[in-house]
Amino acid sequence: MSQSFARFALAALLAGAVSGPALAGNGSARAVYVVSQEGATLTPVAPPGAAIAVGKGPAQVAAGPDGRLYLTHSDIRAVSVVEGRTGAVLARFPFAGQPFGVAVAPDGRGLFVGDWSGGRVVRLSAATGAVEGSVAVGRDPAGLVLDGRGRLYVADRESRQVSVVDTATMTRIGTVPVGEGPFALALNPAQDRLYVANVRSGDLHAIDTATLTGVGRAALGGMPYGVAVSGDGARILVTNQQAGTLAVLDAALQPVATIPVGRYPEGVAVAGDRAYVANWFSDSVSVIDLSSLAETARLPVGEGPRGLAVLSQETP
Amino acid sequence: MRLFAPTVFLALLAATVPATVVLAHGPTPQKVDQSVTIAAKPEAVWKVVGTFAAIDTWHPDVAKSEAVDGNAAGGRRKVTLKNGGTLDEGLDEMNDKTFTYSYRLSDADLKALPVSSYSATLTVTPDGAGSKVEWLGRFYRGDTGNEPPEDLSDAAGKTAMNAYFANGLRGLKAKVEGGKAK
Repeated sequence: MSQSFARFALAALLAGAVSGPALAGNGSARAVYVVSQEGATLTPVAPPGAAIAVGKGPAQVAAGPDGRLYLTHSDIRAVSVVEGRTGAVLARFPFAGQPFGVAVAPDGRGLFVGDWSGGRVVRLSAATGAVEGSVAVGRDPAGLVLDGRGRLYVADRESRQVSVVDTATMTRIGTVPVGEGPFALALNPAQDRLYVANVRSGDLHAIDTATLTGVGRAALGGMPYGVAVSGDGARILVTNQQAGTLAVLDAALQPVATIPVGRYPEGVAVAGDRAYVANWFSDSVSVIDLSSLAETARLPVGEGPRGLAVLSQETP
Repeated sequence: MRLFAPTVFLALLAATVPATVVLAHGPTPQKVDQSVTIAAKPEAVWKVVGTFAAIDTWHPDVAKSEAVDGNAAGGRRKVTLKNGGTLDEGLDEMNDKTFTYSYRLSDADLKALPVSSYSATLTVTPDGAGSKVEWLGRFYRGDTGNEPPEDLSDAAGKTAMNAYFANGLRGLKAKVEGGKAK
């Protein structure tokens, strides 16, 4: 069965906040998953499947290149490893801290896990969970996103900044000031822009990743809690928890559309021509068609959905 | 089984918790979700509840409320509870057409409510000949660390927030239906 099965390729790098680069390859298929904190489940939403019990309080999830998903359980100091295709929980790593944001190294060997109350990012072995390194960042690290060069961006929620970490040396090489309460991050497919959703100041910042300077800001209002970018880089999608909407902007940060979704939308992810929005209060995921910019389905999931991840599998 | 009467609960809390801690928001939010039906048209309910800072006219746990900067996004209310705690809350959305508003807490006051932060939405919709008022929100426990004391846990936050919202809606219903003060 696994013989003919697809080889998994590098997928979206971060849960709940980020769309991965569009993948080349024949017949690449994507599978989208959401974690539900109260429901303690991982639910496949595309293609839809039965919820998988994963243990208490999963908050964020990231996809690895090998078909595995890595889930952070903030309140029980654990990171779990789930095989996406089978739903098997393969391992539960203890984590000495309050794990939240998570990203997977492109080669699948290392995990980067933010320690919310510890103000640091820890590198773990994806195989064993052993600590391989650590770097201090700002206060309350929230979203993490890793680029193709091994540079990690960290939303330091209580420090009004994004920390930039060189993962080869696990050193912080810079910080970029942003709005108040930065939570979610997303890179565009070209990886020359980083978008930062600021929960408290209710705005979105764009950062030039070459110069590490701010190059744009859009005032959105409400509480922007998730951000993702379409596969062509032309659309930036931002959830607004207060309004229960998904705001769609163009690459110049001009408004394109506002799409009503469920209550308290949080994570958003893009897979192909669709976006998926985790409606935290409504216990559902909204499916958005990116060409018509309309909601086409609302799928019930476990209670309290937050982060999403996209696994990509390439058929040879 | 009934919830704690919030005044008792909050009084207990006030005795055990330093009042001036400013806490960050934690990683794991919790829901609060209360609703009530009222025998009056949504317009009549909105007339009472739609002025953000006028919560002291209908919420039985509120001693006073001061308006800062008007009744639109950006406006605030400084609420003093009967237990002595204060809630400084800011409006994110105010919609007089659809009868809904959303707001959030600025700085935590554990003496007021044992939570570190919250956002909430209140909505009035038609329900038969009357109205339904939904008051829901997202909050973070008072101690956002991994081993919170019992009085600052998710459960304590849930109890206090649900009681605060439920008491408020009961007061609102009494005020609108009876026309009487809280």
